[in-house]
Formats: sequence, C-alpha cells, structure tokens
Amino acid sequence: MPALAETVSVPAGLYLSPGWLTLGHYHQPSLSSDYKSQADDDAFFLSVDGKLSPEAELTATLTAIQQPGGGDRHARCRFPARSTWLQQELNLHLPAVDCPAYQQWQNELNTETVTLVFAASYLNSPSSMFGHTFLRLDPPQDDNDTDLLLANTISYAADAAAHDGELMFAYRGIFGGYPGITTVRPYYEKIRLYSDIEHRDLWEYHLNLKQSEVDRMTAHAWEIQDKNFDYYFFDENCAYRLLALIDVARPGTNLLDEVNTHAIPSDTVRWVIDKNLVGHVEYRASAATAVSHSLDSLSAQQQLIASALANGYLKPNSPELMALNETDRAAVLDATYDYVRYQSEADGWPRDFAAPLSHALLRERSSLNAVYPPPPPEPAVRDDQGHNTFRLSLGSGRTEVGGSSRNFSQLTFRPAYHDLLDPPEGYRPGAQLQFLRLDARYYTDNDELQLEKLTGVEIRSISPRNRFFSPLSWQVSFGGRRTDTGRERVLAPYLDGGAGGSWRIASNTQAFALATADLEIDNDLGRGYDAAPGADLGFLHQNPRFSLMAGVKTKAWIVSNQHRQDQLYGKASWHLGREFSVFAEFNREDHFDRMQNTWQAGLHAYF
Amino acid sequence: MKKLIAGAILLGASSMAFAQPGCGVGAMIWKGQSGIAPHVLAATTNGSFGNQTSGMTTGTLGCSTNASVQSMAMYMDSNIDKVARDMSRGNGENLDTLAILLGVEQADRDSFRSVLQDNFAAIFPNADTTSDQAISAIVALLQQDAGLSKYVAA
Repeated sequence: MPALAETVSVPAGLYLSPGWLTLGHYHQPSLSSDYKSQADDDAFFLSVDGKLSPEAELTATLTAIQQPGGGDRHARCRFPARSTWLQQELNLHLPAVDCPAYQQWQNELNTETVTLVFAASYLNSPSSMFGHTFLRLDPPQDDNDTDLLLANTISYAADAAAHDGELMFAYRGIFGGYPGITTVRPYYEKIRLYSDIEHRDLWEYHLNLKQSEVDRMTAHAWEIQDKNFDYYFFDENCAYRLLALIDVARPGTNLLDEVNTHAIPSDTVRWVIDKNLVGHVEYRASAATAVSHSLDSLSAQQQLIASALANGYLKPNSPELMALNETDRAAVLDATYDYVRYQSEADGWPRDFAAPLSHALLRERSSLNAVYPPPPPEPAVRDDQGHNTFRLSLGSGRTEVGGSSRNFSQLTFRPAYHDLLDPPEGYRPGAQLQFLRLDARYYTDNDELQLEKLTGVEIRSISPRNRFFSPLSWQVSFGGRRTDTGRERVLAPYLDGGAGGSWRIASNTQAFALATADLEIDNDLGRGYDAAPGADLGFLHQNPRFSLMAGVKTKAWIVSNQHRQDQLYGKASWHLGREFSVFAEFNREDHFDRMQNTWQAGLHAYF
Repeated sequence: MKKLIAGAILLGASSMAFAQPGCGVGAMIWKGQSGIAPHVLAATTNGSFGNQTSGMTTGTLGCSTNASVQSMAMYMDSNIDKVARDMSRGNGENLDTLAILLGVEQADRDSFRSVLQDNFAAIFPNADTTSDQAISAIVALLQQDAGLSKYVAA
C-alpha cells in the first residue's frame, strides 16, 4: 500500500490545534500533564496509541484517509468530520469517496438547523433533578410537510441497566461505571419519555448555526454515535457531550472551557446563550403541566363533574354534563381525559378501569365541535433565567444558651443547586436539591473556626395535594453536622429522612406535615449512635420577592440518651433580583432541659 | 447490551418513517419485533418506555399497502393514545403528523380532520381496539372518501 502521507508536509504542532483536540475529545487532566481523549472506545481511534496521543492519531488518520478505495469501512467514511478538517488544514485534494451508509444517514437526518432541547427537572426523581439536554436536528421548514415531531434528536446518556434503582444510579453516576452512548432517536419518542412519562416541561432553544456548521456537527455525531464515552453524573454527563458537539460545529466557541467541576444542564444552557448561539426559544408543556392547566381552567362546578367522571361516579353522557353548553362540555371531557391518561401513567390506574373510561370520554368528545383550549402559557421566567446555581453566603449570628451567648460569623459555600428559600423563579415550587454544601462558623469570643455542617446531598420535595393529585412530600439528606451531646457540640455523621403531605393554603403558600427519622453516629454519643423519630409541621411561602418557611419540629432521641429536642424555626429570604438575597433565620430549641436561641442574618450571592 | 440492541432496531425502524420505506426492510424489522399490537387505550403503567414501542406490528397491512401508510402505522404504534385524543378533538399536532406522513395536502387537511373526528367511533369501536385495527379502519374510511382516497391508494 502506498504511504502517501509522507508526501504531505504536516505543520509541526498541528496535532495541538484546538480543532483537532476538539474532534478527538482530547483534554489535559491537569495543566502540566499529557493529553488524553475522553473517548473510551477503541473504535474511535485509528492509531493504537490514539487515546493518549493526539499526534499519533493525526498521523494515522492522515495515512488512512489517503488510502485508495471507498466504502463504509474506509476511514473517510468512518470519520468524515476529521477527514474534512485535515483536508482543509493541509489543502489536500483527495478523490471523491463513496460512503453509502453515511450518505444515507445524512440524507435521512436532512438537517438544516439545530435546536438544543432542555428537559426541565422534575420533582420526584433525584437523578433527573438537574434536568437533561439533547439536540434536535430540524429539517428545512420551507413547506407544509415538515413536522418537528418527526425530526431526529441526538442525545448522550448513561446506558444504565433498567433494574438499577435511584440510589445505584446516583452512586454509579458519580463514581463511574456506566458507559455513555450517543444515540439518534425521533423527537416524538423524546416527548413521550420526558413530557408524558416523566412529566418534564421542554424548552427548545433554536441555535443560530449555519448550514456548514450544522453539517460539521452531524458529521461528528456520526463519528461518535454508538461509541462509548464513560458517563459521569457531574461533569462528563449529557450536557457535557453536547457542548463538545457545539464546539465542533463552531470552532472557537470553547463551551467546554466553561466546565470546571460540574456541568449542570441549566447552567450549560446559560453558557450557550452567553455565547450568542441561541436565536429564539419555545416552550412545550409536559403532560402534567397541561393537565393541571386544563383542570385549573374549569369552574369549581366543572371540576366537581370532572372529578366524578374520572372516578366513575358519572358517565360521559350523564344529565349533569348534558346541562353544560357544547364548549364547556368539551372542556370538561378534554380535561378529564387528560387527567385519566396522566393517572394511568403516573399512578398506574388499572387498565380495566381506565381504558373503557378513556374510550367513553373520547367517543363522547368526538361528537362535539369545539376547539380545544390553548395550551398552557409559557412561564414568565425560563429555567435558564432562574438564579445561578453556585451560592456563596456570608452571615453573622448569635447563640444564646441560659445566661451566656456567643457571636459568630458564618460562611456557606454551596456548589449546587437550589433550596426552598432561594429565588423560586425558574425552579419547581417546593423542590430543593443541594449538593456538597459546606457551612463554617468563626466564633469571635475565642477565635475558633468550626465546621458547622457538611451536607452531602439534601433533597426535599414539598408538593401540595388536592382533589386530583395526591403526591407524597418527602425529604432525605446525609452529611455531617454539629450535634449537642449535652456537654459539647461534636461533628457527627447523620442521615435524615421524612415523608408526609402538603396542602395549598393560599396562592404560593403551602402547609406541610412530615413524619421524620434522624440517625446520628458518633463516638461521643452514649452508644456510638442515636436515632430519633419525630415530626415537622410548617408552612412555606415562595414568591419572586421573598420566601418564608416557619414551623415546629420535635424529635425524640431514643437510643443513647433519652431526651426530646423541640424546635421552633423561621427562615426568610428577600430576593434582590436573582443575584442576591438577604436572609434571616431564627431557631429556638428546647434540648437537655435548656433553651437555646440562635439568630443569624446575612447575604446570599448566586453566580 | 440488550437495551442497546433494542435501541438500534428501533432506530432502524423509526428512521424508516422518514425515508418512506419500501416494504421489504420494514416488514423484516417488524417481523423481528412481533408482539401484541398496543391497545389504543392501554393504561401504560410503570413507565417502561421500551416496552411500549416494541409492538411494531403491521402484519395485517404487510407489503400490500403503500409506504405512507406504513409510515403512519409506525407513528401510530408509539403514539396511538395521543393520536386518538387529537382525533376526538378534531385537531392537534399528532393528527397533523398523520396527515403529513400520508402526504395529505393543505387543501385536504380540514376534510381529513373532520372525516377522522366524525368517524371516531368507527375507528375505535371499543377500548380493546388495537393500532392495527384502527389503521385498517382509517385506510378503509379514506378509501371511501372521494377527495382523500388518493392518499391511501395501494
């Protein structure tokens, strides 16, 4: 075989150019170290040293693409983006090559523009709380025969075994263990998954990529399709791999440089917007949002009828319904059908009840000539317009026990993501997810710096129940915190959980009641650990200007030293835009037969 | 690995919908995926996504019918409940998608929508109607319509 590569002069250091490094997914794990590709798949490389050597890979690629012949196994067909890049850089004029499979793929994708789709977080699954992103490949829209439901999507996801539960998913997601695969699927399947089954609203960000940029992106998508890139929950996740694709499409964008420790999808959307890549944005409400909206649009009496219909107490042709005018009857039937569908998906309503009911509702509806009411309005604030997820707080406080008191300053550092007292816009009401939050206190009386609390993960989901929906409110958190042994405050690992219900008592306000269980482990505790069943009753108000939570908590420590711990708590934040909040907290605690008050106030900054 | 293979088959199958397939390949894929055709109003419990789309069966239609009808059948198989909903309302993006897959021109869209809405009970006679049966009924209805029969000509 003729080694034509030798006749081409390759500029020294070409293998270090950003274009090549991006196409090979090469990174320097630390500044001083050598390059390494994030691809974890031999099939992605033409050189056996390709993973560790961008230079060897470039040389091997250059040789391979100059080989005569063609067909699907030819390097130019397997790596169209790389070979195009090399040809342009080196001004190579290679004969045309025939790549039937790749050509067919490009023809089927028929992509003119690309849309970044963000599936918003939803409340009851920790693994989805950060949201999810994928790309939609939009065909030309110059005639009436384009339909975006049929458009294809590119997404990168962990190939998690179906039987892995949430906890296993979180563990393997963080520490590695899942292969990540890039797949191409039609948009309607994504809508089915995210919008109908997982109840996540979708935001569609139309990217302003030019045709040549789009072609480069799809060419590279072909190269990485079905190639394994190990998946990590925090950094090398769904969003990260898409950023790489956008970097390939528009060289010099350098979106991946924004990623330091983690790539939260909503943050990555912000970066994409900041790089002026987004044209316009569209909103697609989830099935859950749509059904809530259509039920809310009914009058109280119509809601009663809908509820009776859904529960089988009324038939779709009952006199109560026939008394309504055609438009109202259609609205009730539509909302009820959507609700029955929703409950079948979400709550597993039995088919032998839901299916005949659904059929009767649709059949009755088909005789009515009314336009279905418009879809839910787009929220005023998009998910990417909510507060940034990294938070730094500085506060000052005072604790009073008996006659003595201590003053402290507190620094809190929270890399992600949102708590109930943060500015609520762009987040789900009642949802909280915090990772790796660190609270440190500096006591001024004796110049002592103390770790007050280290939160590993803290999740709360406070979601109101009503006539139609009865979600469980729950919470779980673990980490280390100062705990009172009666003599001193020691840092003890803890695991807390709780479950209960919540009810809306006014707009933006809900009251909740949770049964809780706390576990602490420490040598300084009598038997090395202690456990406390308890209760937490409170209310939560969230609006764009301020958030307030107050309530009472009681716990009975039952293992090491039997005593009650009763707390009265109140926390408030005033939101100064979405960059800053002023916060104040008060906690009054009866523990070991003494009363302790703690005050604190300060400033949260989000960036 | 099994999940990935299933995914690859679905991708192959779904891309057919855009390519307006000849029946050969499509029939092969469907044969491999034989299963119970989804009931239109099946309560799709436990959110298992893969299972719901695996019932790719258009056995009753086979290769005798045209490519657009097969594309429509593919789409119906995974979106049947939404198609039924839109049909009962006489509008909606899923109904429009059917029209596009069948190549129904703009001028005929209103008539397409109303034929399907007016005949909802004939297309879905009961809660156990399968997507196969619904598709056959749609094809039969369109064939009887002077203005729409051209879109389902064999």
